[in-house]
Amino acid sequence: MIWKIVLLLLFIWVIIAAWSFVPPMSGVQTPEVYRIFYFHWPVALVTFMAYAFAMYQAIRYLKSKNLDYDFKSNTAALLGTIFCVLATISGSIFAKFAWGSFWNWDPRETSITVVLLIYLAYFSLRSAVNDPAKKANLSAVYAILGFIAAFFAIFIWPRIMPGLHPGSPGGESSARFIAMSGTTRLVVFPSLAAFIVLYGWIYSLAVRVHRLQQEAQL
Amino acid sequence: MITLVPMFVSLLIWFGLWLYLLRLDRRIKELEKNAK
Repeated sequence: MIWKIVLLLLFIWVIIAAWSFVPPMSGVQTPEVYRIFYFHWPVALVTFMAYAFAMYQAIRYLKSKNLDYDFKSNTAALLGTIFCVLATISGSIFAKFAWGSFWNWDPRETSITVVLLIYLAYFSLRSAVNDPAKKANLSAVYAILGFIAAFFAIFIWPRIMPGLHPGSPGGESSARFIAMSGTTRLVVFPSLAAFIVLYGWIYSLAVRVHRLQQEAQL
Repeated sequence: MITLVPMFVSLLIWFGLWLYLLRLDRRIKELEKNAK
């Protein structure tokens, strides 16, 4: 119970600090809009962690052939995709006020579209196969390959191609770089911790419901 | 005012989500007890 109260307090701290204590970021055209960064960046990072976790569970399935791990891998990827959609929406709002348009086909925006398509194809694949063992085998291999592609799309591609996001080579990106001050870190890291715990909580609830369903079937 | 409204809306959304998850957690715990 204590960690659940800590999670609530973390979110209260992040929301109040992000909207009131932390000063608007200087050196940008619309400083107030940059407050969305305290939600956008942690959600995007949790997306990546979720897909890594889905791959880990897929490897465990391939080693043991236990269908529980297949369920865990699927749940991890499903929650990761929900976080990915949230990161895309918050990023799009961010882009509208920072760069003038909701969508600019910046390498990182393109890469998040690719990642979403990769995992939507993963769910299509799962729904197309009826045999549970065959579905689990194909899904596990896809989850591993999908994560490798997602890693390239998230971390390598946007750092090679010039773009608008911070960290992109060339272009105007260096002028738009968000330097994390001490105050920013005081908000953004608790926000990251809160989103990780929130992800873990929802994931554990899904796994427990699955166990109850299995016990009910026996 | 620019930041106060989104702050209260965000607080309301997160508190609602937290409360929903807490109730769901308790319901699952009850079902787990009954299953034993």
